[in-house]
Amino acid sequence: MSKTLNRRDFIKTSSATTVGVATIASGITLTTFAANTSDNPVTSEKRWGMLIDTNKLTEANIDGMVSACQQENGWGSEVHSTGDQKPTWVKKLKVQDKATGKITSLPLMCQHCEEPPCVDVCPTNASMKREDGIVLVDKHLCIGCRYCMMACPYDARSFVHEELTDQREHMPRGKGTVESCTLCVHKVDNNETPACVASVNSDAVIFGDLYDANSNINQTLKKVQSAQIRADLDLNTGVRYSGI
Amino acid sequence: MYRLVVILMVLLVGNVFAERHADYSNLGEEASNIKASGKIFHTDGLDVIRKMHPEFLNHKRDKTHREGVRTKENSLKGCVNCHATKDKQTNQYHSINDQDQFCSTCHQKVSVSVDCFSCHRTTPRKGTK
Repeated sequence: MSKTLNRRDFIKTSSATTVGVATIASGITLTTFAANTSDNPVTSEKRWGMLIDTNKLTEANIDGMVSACQQENGWGSEVHSTGDQKPTWVKKLKVQDKATGKITSLPLMCQHCEEPPCVDVCPTNASMKREDGIVLVDKHLCIGCRYCMMACPYDARSFVHEELTDQREHMPRGKGTVESCTLCVHKVDNNETPACVASVNSDAVIFGDLYDANSNINQTLKKVQSAQIRADLDLNTGVRYSGI
Repeated sequence: MYRLVVILMVLLVGNVFAERHADYSNLGEEASNIKASGKIFHTDGLDVIRKMHPEFLNHKRDKTHREGVRTKENSLKGCVNCHATKDKQTNQYHSINDQDQFCSTCHQKVSVSVDCFSCHRTTPRKGTK
């Protein structure tokens, strides 16, 4: 019963298979596009990131980013907190080249590391990384121990020292929990860009999926020189900078 | 001793069921409108939502926070939007966890604190996501 496959049969079979695969593949693609993203759990097929070009950003732009974040997420109007107690989700930082004296301003927020130290140290699993790379604090589980604040090399997290009211509907915040930049996760889940990126509204700050070869951020990162802050720690940050 | 326990249990259960038919003056604006129009929002039955709402909310919070599933089903925002009541004089919403507001009527009675609103917004804000 041995059946030998001649050349003609082979071509017939293989072309039929190819058509079949193509049909299935196109079906899958169509389904993916049709589905509402917010109904499906996020997956590791995406990795959200941001590229900040400090040469194109003015100081006014950075101030604008900070106030857009405050406006969007409702922080910055704490009356009873003093000095270092005040929450800061994103701040303007000035770095100086020792040799030339050149001063560069940059916005610094949670860098959304692939290997976040804040997640490693959290005793309650409140500090967490979503599948798509966004690092968050689950305030339902946060006991306010502030280990994550100590572990973060970027000083990106804040502790809420006072009782708050009138929070943003999409951004619950409360006394005794740690908070930080969420990459405007509520907007990202609705296919919008983070508030700070929208406030700049130019290619000085690009937001997108680092893994998507067609995305602006991926293509720009392939072209231009960019850096991660404290790249020596090998955390593989989602927020990248060029011009520093 | 056993009898005493049974009597206590009966009293407790009786309390819960007594609440069942209470007429909520503070059901909330939208919820009252839905009720008046004869539509049913909690299609599984009021007993189910009354008993199970903490589980529903906990399940939803994990889905939303950890997996990014932002559907309207069992969303705390939805509860607040529907069950909040406006002050007739000031035209401002009462906080939903204020005394004698929707959440508090039952929670006060059974002495269970509501922790949701130490972080979550207590009044509706339309138009925000």
